[in-house]
Amino acid sequence: METQAKIPIVFSNNNRYNVKEQTIYTAKGEDKMVIYAAVDDHMGMAFNHRRQSQDKAVRKMILNETKTGRLWMNPYTKKQFDDPAAEQIIVDEDFLEKAEEEDYCFVENCSVKQYEDKITKIILIRWGRSYPADTYFDINLTDGRWKLLTSTEFEGNSHKNITREEWVNE
Amino acid sequence: MNRSMKTKHFKTLMISFLFVLFCGLVPMGCGSQRGVVDQGASVSTERSMTEETERRLETEVQETETEQESEATEIDTAGTAAKGSALKQTMPSTEVTVSVADIPAYNGSPYVAVNDNVPQFLETDLSTSSYEYYSDLDSLGRCGVVYACIGTDLMPTEERGSIGSVKPTGWHTVKYDTVDGKYLYNRCHLIGYQLSGENANVKNLITGTRYLNVDGMLPFENMVADYVKETNHHVMYRVTPVFDGDNLLASGVQIEAESVEDNGEGILFNVYCYNVQPNVAIDYATGDSSLAGGDVAAQNDAAADASVDTAAASYKGAKSDSNAASDSNADQADESSKSSGSTDQTADNGQTSDNSGTSAQNPSGGSDTLMVYKSATGDKYHSINNCGRMNPNKATQITEAEAIRQGLGKCSKCW
Repeated sequence: METQAKIPIVFSNNNRYNVKEQTIYTAKGEDKMVIYAAVDDHMGMAFNHRRQSQDKAVRKMILNETKTGRLWMNPYTKKQFDDPAAEQIIVDEDFLEKAEEEDYCFVENCSVKQYEDKITKIILIRWGRSYPADTYFDINLTDGRWKLLTSTEFEGNSHKNITREEWVNE
Repeated sequence: MNRSMKTKHFKTLMISFLFVLFCGLVPMGCGSQRGVVDQGASVSTERSMTEETERRLETEVQETETEQESEATEIDTAGTAAKGSALKQTMPSTEVTVSVADIPAYNGSPYVAVNDNVPQFLETDLSTSSYEYYSDLDSLGRCGVVYACIGTDLMPTEERGSIGSVKPTGWHTVKYDTVDGKYLYNRCHLIGYQLSGENANVKNLITGTRYLNVDGMLPFENMVADYVKETNHHVMYRVTPVFDGDNLLASGVQIEAESVEDNGEGILFNVYCYNVQPNVAIDYATGDSSLAGGDVAAQNDAAADASVDTAAASYKGAKSDSNAASDSNADQADESSKSSGSTDQTADNGQTSDNSGTSAQNPSGGSDTLMVYKSATGDKYHSINNCGRMNPNKATQITEAEAIRQGLGKCSKCW
């Protein structure tokens, strides 16, 4: 990947504007299976079988970005999308196994390591907070296989600063 | 009957009538005053009240305005921005007693699940109305169990103020280079400020290590706070400081939480957080401490209490949405805590220690109150039960003096 430019990006959410400098890299290949995961400062996702946190701004973002495709999730994750309902959502306990190329998956409480070869992009939602955890996002993003494509910050409904990172598989 | 007798009889009748009338009026006056007292929700300014009634109402107002002055255990409902509404609820029905013997020995994780991570609330404890309860201090001045039903109306709307005036039991102002922020101890809120807005309440503050405050308790408070803000639900939250015998320093705290409106689907946990600090040996009887590894010990700096308070604020407590700086500092502290393994190595640099933090010395050379770990086999005693040269599951605790009497030597790795 090569650096193209460092440009200021104005990101608006609920009439609030954040300006953050982004480093834009060229991306290789087509987007295939895309994973969404929300993590805390220690890459934790869940504690005692329950998500660490949630935010309606994050749900709105995910639904907006996946509206032209299929968004897979398990029944536990589906509960936070009941209001409002979304047509692109497919619910299945084995969603990571059954999702295909160009599908999206939202992972909250299960391992993704075994599907790493199937994933070409990871959208990491960082809460910017420290929570207790006993379930972690288990793909190592620092082993050289993954590259950070973009990083943006936005204000959530109950979180002051949420960071959205796009990681691509080289 | 002659005229004088009639007059006399008439006067007697008048006096009797007036007497009866007087006796009838006085009870009616007392009953109306009692009614005002029974209503109780607001202070009455009627001047016709008895002195005793006025004193009682003044006491109720004082108890409402200043929790620290109250001797009784009360629960205040926070229905308005001005906390301390005079509505009283019955006390929660459950007092949970957790002893140090029930808790597994510290094994490198800042917290451990209790009761399969399931809290032990009764149905009657749960409420969709916010409330809070703080036990009186015991005879040694130590905090007891505290409860709160956390809702958005209980949360603070302003930044936390100073708490430097409070000296919980076991308090020492002591610094170590290996501790993030230097200060070993924080004034540690049992129910975090970001949840209840309780700040300098002596019933809500214990002496806790930085590790307990930031690595142990803070993540759970963050999770509960963000859940409440996002969902506008309530979370039943109970914190029990655990003291071993007459120790002034808590061995740890138990935290239980359950979200109410969704029956625990959002928030459910029951954990014990250890009041320890990696690489620091602590005497829980007094709060004295020493740096493991024989390094130069603590700088005791009584004049630095204000900066300790500042450090505590930056790590935990001032967690309102407007205080991004303290969140950032806490995050930096978390990162530093993650590298505590490396600091263990750097701390063991062979410098001599004056052990100024240790308590009274036994003539044999060891402390009678400082607890150390002994392995099932081996000829060393350790400051922690998982220093890598022993099986933590087979570790037992004895005093340092006893360890020396048994011929054990100090482990060069963890001291």
